[in-house]
Parts: sequence; C-alpha cells; structure tokens
Amino acid sequence: MVDNAKLKDVAKEVISREDVRLLIGYRPGTYGFRARPAFVENSDQVDELIFSPACVSNLSSYLTLEEKTPLPRGVEPDLRKVAVMVKGCDSRALVQQLVEKAYDREHILVLGIPCRGVVDMAKVENRFPGVISGEIAMEGDNLVFSFDGKEETVPKEELLAEKCKRCRYPTPLISDLLLDDEVERFADDDYSDITAMEGKSTEEKWAFWEEQFSRCIRCYSCRNVCPMCYCEDCVLDRLKPVWARRSVDISENTVYHISRAYHLAGRCIQCGECERVCPVDIPLMLLNRKFYRDVEELYDYEPGIKVEEKPLLSTFSVDDKEDFIL
Amino acid sequence: MAEETREGFEPNIVAFLCNWCSYAGADLAGTSRIQYPSNVRVIRVMCTGRVNPLFVMNALQQGADGVLVSGCHPGDCHYMQGNYYARRRFTLMRNFLEYLGVDPARVRMSWVSASEGSKWKEVIEEVVEGVKAVGPMDQFKRRQLNW
Amino acid sequence: MAEKVLKKEKVGEALKELSKFRLFAPSKSNGTILYKQIEDPSDACLDFGNTTVPAKKIVFPQTETLFRFMLGNPELKEKNVEEEGTTVVFGIRPCDARAMGIVDNLFSWDYQDPYYLKRRELTTLVGLACIQPPSINCFCTSVGGEPFSEENLDVLLVDLGEMYLFKAITEKGEKLKTTLGSQLDEAPSDAVKKSGELADKANVQIKRTIDTKGIPEKLPTLWENELWKRVSAACLGCGICTYLCPTCHCFDIQDEVEGAEGRRARMWDSCMFREYTLHASGHNPRPTRRERTRNRINHKYSYFPSKFQVIACVGCGRCINLCPVNIDILEILGQVVDA
Repeated sequence: MVDNAKLKDVAKEVISREDVRLLIGYRPGTYGFRARPAFVENSDQVDELIFSPACVSNLSSYLTLEEKTPLPRGVEPDLRKVAVMVKGCDSRALVQQLVEKAYDREHILVLGIPCRGVVDMAKVENRFPGVISGEIAMEGDNLVFSFDGKEETVPKEELLAEKCKRCRYPTPLISDLLLDDEVERFADDDYSDITAMEGKSTEEKWAFWEEQFSRCIRCYSCRNVCPMCYCEDCVLDRLKPVWARRSVDISENTVYHISRAYHLAGRCIQCGECERVCPVDIPLMLLNRKFYRDVEELYDYEPGIKVEEKPLLSTFSVDDKEDFIL
Repeated sequence: MAEETREGFEPNIVAFLCNWCSYAGADLAGTSRIQYPSNVRVIRVMCTGRVNPLFVMNALQQGADGVLVSGCHPGDCHYMQGNYYARRRFTLMRNFLEYLGVDPARVRMSWVSASEGSKWKEVIEEVVEGVKAVGPMDQFKRRQLNW
Repeated sequence: MAEKVLKKEKVGEALKELSKFRLFAPSKSNGTILYKQIEDPSDACLDFGNTTVPAKKIVFPQTETLFRFMLGNPELKEKNVEEEGTTVVFGIRPCDARAMGIVDNLFSWDYQDPYYLKRRELTTLVGLACIQPPSINCFCTSVGGEPFSEENLDVLLVDLGEMYLFKAITEKGEKLKTTLGSQLDEAPSDAVKKSGELADKANVQIKRTIDTKGIPEKLPTLWENELWKRVSAACLGCGICTYLCPTCHCFDIQDEVEGAEGRRARMWDSCMFREYTLHASGHNPRPTRRERTRNRINHKYSYFPSKFQVIACVGCGRCINLCPVNIDILEILGQVVDA
C-alpha cells in the first residue's frame, strides 16, 4: 500500500517543479468513506492528498476534460506539465490516449501507483450504512474500515470492485515516478460474464438489454467520465445530422448505447468508470467487455498496453477473418 | 414474432454499395436482365470504408429490416485498403448486434465485383431469405411517433 | 373525524383498487428504485429509501410531445393531457412533493404551461413519511422541509410498523380516502400520537445540516470568487445532478420528423451541458464548468428565491449521493457562508 506520507513528499516535490502547473490526485471526500479528485496548484495544498482503496476515480479523464477559454491577446498559453496519479488500470487510459495522440507525452508527468484493488463504494455503503465519515486502508488481503472510533476488518474479495477481481495490470504500464513497489498480477479475466450472456437466446438477450436501456436517462455521465471519450464535439450531441435524437425512448437509447460502446471498440481499457457512475445501474461493462474480448480473440489486440501500437480500427491485416462475408 | 406476421412479409433491405465494384455489379445484373428480389434499396457510396456503422444503425432505426454492405473483393479496392477497414468494422458490429439480441442475419456484408451480376442476384436472394426468416425488425426500430 | 389506517396486508388490495387510475409507485428494477406505472401491485416496492429518479418525471416527463404535424395538412394536433386521466403517485417522499410545489411557481409564472399544470391538477400525491432519512446526505430540514412534511401532499402515509396511518390532507386526499373505503380501517387510538413521536425522532436523525439564512443575498456578491473554480474542478459536466434533481426543470424543444409526420417535443435539458448555452456563432457565455456550476448553485439559491421567495432545493441529497466525483452542494454552500 502506498505510504501517504511518502505520497505527500513526492507530490510536494513535483508541484514545486518549475515545469509542472497542476497535480491531479485524490483527497478525502465529503461524507462516508468517499475519496474524490484533488487539483493541486501549489505546495500548500499537498497535505490533503491521500491514496486509499476508496480512490476509485480514473484521473486520466481530466487530462482531456479541461476546457480552455480563449486567451486575451498577448497572453501565452501555460504549456507546463500536468502531473497525474494513476493506478494500473488508469495508466492504460494514458497509454491509449497517447496511442491516439490526444496530447504530447511531454505534457504529462505520470505518478504511478501500483494498486492492489479499490472498493466498490456501493457495496461498502451497503455494508456500513449511515457512516458520516470514515477511512479505508488495505492490510494484506483485508480491508480495514475505521469509523466512529472503531475498526472493522473485511476480506477484500467481499468489497472489491468487480474490475479489480479481473485486473491484469495492477502496476502502471507507464510512469515517470512509481510511488510504491511493483505489484504482481493477482487476477485474470476469464470473460465468464460475456460467455454467459452470449449463451442466451436472441429473445432473451434483447429482453435483457431492452430492460436495461429503457432505464437510461441519458445524463451522459458514462460518456463524460470515460477517459477515452474526449471528442470536443461528440457525434451524439450533433444536431446536423442527428444520429441519436435527444428524446429518451428505447430506440434512441439503444442507438446511444451501441454508439458509445462501439466507439470504444479496441479502445476501452476496462477502468470500469462508466458502470460505476451510472445512476440507474446499467451494466455498461458488459457491453464494453464484449468488444474487448472479441478484439482480443479476433485480432490479438489489447488496447492501452504499448504507446507505439496503432489504433485497432485504423489498421488491418490482409488475413482478418471474414467467414460471414458473402 | 408470431408466425402469422411473417406470412407474406416483404422485408426492406438497405444496401450500401461501393461505387467501383458492387454498384457496377448490381448495374450489370440489371442490364443483363437478371431477376432478383425487389426488396433492396441501394445507396451508393464511394467505398465500403465510407460506411459508418452509424449508417447501419440509422437504417435499422428508420425501418430497414436488414442492411447489406457490399464492396470490392479484398485486394481489389479502388482505394487500395478501404474494404479491409470496413471488414474489421463490420465484423465487430455484427458480433455486437448479435450480442444485444439483434439477429446477425440483419447485418450482412458481401464482396461483389463489377463483373459479378449473377453473384449480386445470389447475394440478394440469400440476404432477403435470411431476413424473411427472422421477421420484421422490432428491436430498436423507431416506433410510430407516439404522444 | 376519526383517523384511518391502511394495514400492510391490505396495501396490495389498495394498489389494485388504485390501478384503475394511472398509478405510479416505486418499483425495483435491477436493484435501482424507480417510479413505474403499476398494473400488478406486486411490482410496487414500498420498502425503499428514495427513488433514483425523482417523481417530477411523472408530471414533467423527460420527453413529452406537445403537438404533431403532417405534411400537407395545416392543422396541428395538440396533445390533450386530459386523456391521461387521473394519476396517483403512491409513496412519494415529502421532499419530492415539496419540490413539485416549488416547480409549480415556475410553470404558472409568466406563462401558464398547459401541459404541466393540467397534469398537476390530475395528479394526487400519496406521500410516505421518512421514518428515518433515506440517506446520510438528506438535509431537508435545512431548506424548509421535514421528513414528515405535509406540504403539497394530498395524503400522508406514516409507517407505524404493521400499518400506515392514512392522513388525508386535501380535498383530493379525502376523495382518495373514499375511493379506498373498504381497504382502510379505523385507526387505533394511539396512532396519531405514535406518528408524532416518530416525526420528532426522524427530525433529529438528519445529520447533515446547514443554515441557509442569508445565502440568497450573499451569492450575488461572490460572482468572481475563487471558490467556484475550486468546487467545480472535478466536475465532469454530466447531467446527473440536474436530471435527478426534483426541482430542476430546464427543457429543450425539438422537432422530430418521421416520414411525412412529425412532432414537436420538449425534453429535459441540463445547464451542466456545454451545449446548453452554446450560441450558433460558436460563442459560449458559460465556457467552462466553473460558470456552469456557479449557475446551478445560483439558480437554486439566488435567482429562484429572488423571484419566488423559495429556495429551489428540497434537500433530497440526490446530487450528492449520485455525483460521480463527490461534488457536494452542502460543502459548496458551506464555502459560500464562509466566503
């Protein structure tokens, strides 16, 4: 587990550097066991930084989320680096953003956090309801919850986020500074959820998805939180042409969800943020992971691993499978 | 889908054909007076690589029961590589629609060259037959505009 | 007049009776509690905290057709809300009901919105008091509400363990009481007293509070304050806080055409979206999430109270609970107070 005192020291050093303008990390949330993103601009703000299994957010989203207003004449843009703390899964988002040339490598400074898993906050809040303020720490294979002056230990499998239970890359794949010792791979993905879904009949599948999609309120949080959804002008927001209408019904919702998932084909790095933020609990990872598995099986491609890689759908092989083509 | 509704069901098929091969192939079928099912509505595009998967979804939303994307044989693309990109795109698209419960018979792809008028006929016959077997598109087709 | 109670074993029967109207009640879908039109009473779930999507969607649907038009036909077919008939919302939380009262101000202000107001007129609200606050982020007592608030409700149900105390508040409520007639029983003599005790208990269980006095007057003075940048830094610009807010009421109007037929529809919009204020010229008067967050808070706590003398926030806590990055309206208000 990352030592928080060390983390603060490193952060202080980094933010004091001439060539760093912003450090994005985590700080305690406002209630319960939550943690939230922190934006540090000077060394006075470093003290609130933490890392714990409550730090679920993928901070790499913020690298592409920043909105810049036009500068007054004569003012030079601030091109200094942004430092960002990333877990293993989050670092793959950085790799994929670099594959797609979303920004230059020298514009970011990566503080890698080898991670042994983060919690599923919904499960935690079910287990400990009504806690006003508390902390989570990881000790070995246990999670330690301290709140109201007491401590409770829970085996981590019980409250870990689903994505962590199939995490292949706990140690960041890209980093300038590693904040802790590397973590060995402790889990693997067997895609059992995808296989189970594929085993259903056509009618069963649609009945399932119809129910899921009909709940969608189109708040677009799944899109906005996604580190790979960084188009300035999303095709689904366009009014000319309208690909997905604003109206909320099963037809438009389905098109929205197909488009969103399809745009992540060969790009989704499985940080699970979309599913985490969905207010109506649509199992979005079940969509993304279908593509992930297919891409791995058909094209032997795993996104977000190597910066030198080319994006999947802008490459091809002459020998690609084509058994369905007439 | 009840059997009665399939009886006499004539599907709408939207076909995106590349300008250089499949469109010419379909044209050849016409000038050679080869009879093929009239369910198909052709949209000419410059290359299969131009076909955005959103086109396919939009067609299915607006009342198509099936969509066909057809282009030059691999290696014959007028733009060298367009059909290779399209092939990857639609392999994934088709698998995904199947996963959501949309029968893969609704989204087909074919290679038809400018000289293959008779192949065009066979392709259309197979596509129409396939869509007839699965019935009208009823999953995410836009409903009649309701209150 | 003697008070009535609805015994829990008779709730199914009562819902069956009410399902002759357009009946909405909380229902569980994949673990999420949402309002659903109830045909089968077993779909309803009254053992819930609060619904994820507030009851506003029943009187102010997310997508609503205003009128339809046809090619070559100059006549418009206007939507007749009357046809929807009497609607009953069963199990609405007092905060959501209060919110409807607040939104009424807006829809009956400079323009009498026929769709919304008609639907409100046709709707009977059967509230369910919060015996204990549904979440730790409930703060209704700070903005003029209460877990047992009767404001804007037609009936208030109070869970007394084996039965619900059935308290008709308005004429609509009395009518519903008559409709339910045989499903209701005489209340035991201590029911009202017991309900009062529960109300007192519920009030003190609200743990997070803030003194909102003075905030509406103070906000305009903080327009360029540093705090807006700080509190909005993590914002993703999604629509959760506004779509799921029971008092947010912004909408967009769009025409949708299908063949020779089309409709004009209005649908929820959110001030947290970039497109909300984007001009055709490309200029955006609220260019970043800082301005958008500032607008959201100002609208609720400054513009609305200055026009309608009521804060457009009922303290349901949804925006805090569901914000993906833990942006907390109570914290923002705290900073406003301290600024």
